[in-house]
Amino acid sequence: MTQRRHTLVGTAMAAVFLVLSIGAQAQCRSFAKNKCVPGLAPYKFNESFNGAQLAPGEEAEVQLTFLAGQEYRVMVCVHPILGEVNWKLVDADNKVVFESLADEPKTHFDLKAAGTTRMKVVVWVPERPKTDMVHVGCVAILTGFKE
Amino acid sequence: MHRPLKPRWPALAAIAVLISACGGDAPPQETLNPGTADGLEDARQRTGRKIFYSIPSPMETAALLKRAGAAYDHGLPNDVKNVDRYTVASKQALNLGVYGADLSYASVFNQTQESMFYTSCSKRLAESLGVTDVFNEATLERMERHVNDRDSLLNIVSSTYWDVDAYLKENGRENISALMFIGGWVEGLYIATQVAAAKPSAELRQRVADQKYALEDLIDLVGTYPDDPTLVGPLADLRALADLFADVGGPAGGEATQENGVTVVGAGAPAADLTDEQLLAIRDKVAQVRNDYIN
Repeated sequence: MTQRRHTLVGTAMAAVFLVLSIGAQAQCRSFAKNKCVPGLAPYKFNESFNGAQLAPGEEAEVQLTFLAGQEYRVMVCVHPILGEVNWKLVDADNKVVFESLADEPKTHFDLKAAGTTRMKVVVWVPERPKTDMVHVGCVAILTGFKE
Repeated sequence: MHRPLKPRWPALAAIAVLISACGGDAPPQETLNPGTADGLEDARQRTGRKIFYSIPSPMETAALLKRAGAAYDHGLPNDVKNVDRYTVASKQALNLGVYGADLSYASVFNQTQESMFYTSCSKRLAESLGVTDVFNEATLERMERHVNDRDSLLNIVSSTYWDVDAYLKENGRENISALMFIGGWVEGLYIATQVAAAKPSAELRQRVADQKYALEDLIDLVGTYPDDPTLVGPLADLRALADLFADVGGPAGGEATQENGVTVVGAGAPAADLTDEQLLAIRDKVAQVRNDYIN
């Protein structure tokens, strides 16, 4: 009987967690669409949404392709509740092409691709002093291109 | 300055015919199991690092074709009459992507009438997939209001597909979303290869060669649903195409440089070495895959 109750509680908690994570992801998309995409102007959003809820100490990365002859804006947009984050753009040889650190944050980086190039954006959220409250917030990595 | 809205009766009549052609009762539904993203996301969270997968942008591909001097070819997009053929969810999802790419192609080339046709078909397929809150009459009306404002139209198209993708993912149907991206990418490559083969130029070849990386990203994305039976066939199609891209030149390396205050990457890159044989092989294979999807 007790075991059955534990299973039920476990299932209910898993369901609540799933609902909360879907809700958080929806909020993240809504935040990115309404608060971040407009910041890409005059570049046109390339329709690829890369975003998730991150907590202090977590990292995210995405591989991006920059096509020859195109101009791009790479943007890392963070919900204010999370505070500032660190992010960098690294090339295929792991050389840092651009870096933005939390104490001197930049929201975007513009570049021109002379040849088609693959690069990786890496975002990491600095650890915060231990408190009872863990702040989790949306981080979106967006790309815009010039027509 | 705001200009008064003029009625566009020919356009409205044509759209009405199309909507009526794309209307009717929703066909019987094949059930697709929800994706397995929750487990995957859990695994990613446990490692503390989240990996995102870029999705290809048919709109960027269409914009590049236009910049390369390509003209709009009315014969390339999927026939709007085909929309009635798609009665199972996997085909509906693939062709929602196909018509989405056609919509981007038509919109980028300022083909307003055709843009509305493909919107109607996309709406019909979205409805069949149960995405009624996003692609609805209000979307059509908003597009009709901006039909002569290309930038607004492109923004509405982009925003609508963003919302469809979000709706599917938030409802545990990531596999449907993945199928939509596959359909969109295949249609974009089909159009690009047809255009490049008909009017060969170094830039058009480059644009076809560039799709190698979008394909790699797409395979990585679809590969995150290894147990989903609906994605097995399309993943095999993508891998078959990847084999044909295997010997196409790699991306540029080299130092980033500064040019008038702008960072330039990939300087000194060789031109894409896509041979005639490679181009034709990719064109024929993608035409075959696309033919399977639209028929």
